[in-house]
Amino acid sequence: MRISSDEITHLEEIAYQIRRLSVEMITCGQWGHIGGSFSIAEILACLYFHELQVDPGDPNWPQRDIFLLSKAHAVPALYAALALRGYFPTEEIYTYCELGSRLQSHTDMRRTPGLEASGGALGQGLSIAVGMALGFHFLENPYNRVYCLLGDGECNEGQVWEAAMSAGHYHLDNLIAIVDYNKVMAKGFVWELMGVEPFADKWRAFGWEVLEVDGHDVDALLHVLHEARRVRVHGQPIVIVAHTVKGRGIRETEFNYRWHTSHPAPGVADAMLRELARNYARSEEGYSRLDKSDA
Amino acid sequence: MPEEMRDAFGKTLVELGHEFPNLLVLDADLNTSSKTVYFKEVFPTRFIQCGIAEQNMFGIAAGLAIQGFIPFPSTFAVFAAKRALDQISISIAYPRLNVKIPGSYVGVPTSRAGASHNAFSDLANMRALPYMRVADPGDNHELSAVMRAAVMTDGPIYFRITRYTLPHLFDAEYEFEWGKGQQLLAGSDVTLIGTGMMTNLCLEAAEILAKDRIWAEVLHCGSVKPIDAELIAASAQKTRAVVTAENASIIGGLGSAVAELVSERAPSVLRRIGVQDCFIETGGISELLAHLQMRPEDIALAARDAVEAKGAF
Repeated sequence: MRISSDEITHLEEIAYQIRRLSVEMITCGQWGHIGGSFSIAEILACLYFHELQVDPGDPNWPQRDIFLLSKAHAVPALYAALALRGYFPTEEIYTYCELGSRLQSHTDMRRTPGLEASGGALGQGLSIAVGMALGFHFLENPYNRVYCLLGDGECNEGQVWEAAMSAGHYHLDNLIAIVDYNKVMAKGFVWELMGVEPFADKWRAFGWEVLEVDGHDVDALLHVLHEARRVRVHGQPIVIVAHTVKGRGIRETEFNYRWHTSHPAPGVADAMLRELARNYARSEEGYSRLDKSDA
Repeated sequence: MPEEMRDAFGKTLVELGHEFPNLLVLDADLNTSSKTVYFKEVFPTRFIQCGIAEQNMFGIAAGLAIQGFIPFPSTFAVFAAKRALDQISISIAYPRLNVKIPGSYVGVPTSRAGASHNAFSDLANMRALPYMRVADPGDNHELSAVMRAAVMTDGPIYFRITRYTLPHLFDAEYEFEWGKGQQLLAGSDVTLIGTGMMTNLCLEAAEILAKDRIWAEVLHCGSVKPIDAELIAASAQKTRAVVTAENASIIGGLGSAVAELVSERAPSVLRRIGVQDCFIETGGISELLAHLQMRPEDIALAARDAVEAKGAF
């Protein structure tokens, strides 16, 4: 399949904006998960701006693909993607975590346009994805897919493997899981706290086809998504193990568990965003809501 | 004698399955015990086996509800209300999904299955979930009516199924309404409030009390959440002595709901019959009811005690 360099540039720009807006909303709301939001920026850009059949003007369109964020604490990145895609105004991200906001700290399908399920308690999303994949069978819809994005630490949860077992048992080949394999959990490295290796082998043992990819390489992501959807359709669910870096984009946050849940003070956010811009060769812009007193 | 409640459950599922083509049933390897097997035999393609993985089953039910189906994820009450409580809470109750949860094998009649299988905290756990409606039907007719009301009402619902044969309280035309209780017997001295299988035992207790010219008013609250506050408050206002009886722990279920309500609206003497903060161990049903002091004579004793205590007010 051919991907134009314009397409790649466009998606990389979206990923940059997802990172920038994540910092903006987490700083404004004074709460959130930067590390896990940064690691999924390219994945969300490729899904929402290339792969997913969705219509922001009709979030309930019956022929839409489904995306579930099981690692729901990374929702700032998803809010950024949804806003950029047109589900709600970008300005609304500054209500993140405010009382009464449509943008809650984890996924709330009742409030936020574009969210397909509610969550936050890790391990639950893949089961919902299995239900929706089965639902497409009952609805006799062979066209749409269910995508479910999980964290690596999240795969410690037993329910993930219950869901994996049932997906394998039912040969749900309209289900594509994506694991943000960023190797870092809330309090340390996955391999030190509760290792998941041999990771690909585990999925295969549960009846899944495994595809691996560099989760920050847009070209590679587009190829693997194409392969998952159009090439490998033979009675197995597919998992894309995306090798990523937690906090990718800013030196301080990269591979650093301290930025799992940590919100920067406005002055720090300003410096971070300037560095982000430099790292991605963009014109420098800092935190948009910086007071003189915050500097 | 009516059939066992679980048979009524299985048959009503089939009836509703004919009327509602988007009704699906999920099972976790219990279908011949829970009697969802009747639905499986008639609608094999609408029956989803999930294996011994209840947490996953409730997540699957959530996904199906989001897609517009009416799922009945069926398992024993202990596994629904304890093991899968987080899944029911966050995947189902929080987004108010249209999932109908039958909790089988509640309380004492589960008898020999013992501590791990005899549900006593399911009423408390489900009552504490926002957006969850909770029912403990008093007989097969009410069970069918609850199930019908469940598919006609949007939102998450939990209802209990007792593994027992309950005498009829209502007739076949009975219509269940959320938040509406029934006064089955009028009285003036003491209010007996039952739910599920215990209402029949309250009626028997009323007969015992009548011999001593103590006139008990008997209320049935099949709808535990929302509960019929007006009915209960009015009765408590009149009698000032209330005895609750439930096939569940006295902590957090009917007794607690009534205590909350009565303290706020019509302060009365209160006694709670039910499982007194213990696990229900292995035993025969009558032995257990005696051991746990949940028989009609125990209800009557509590009623006498309440009547005497109110004299001190």
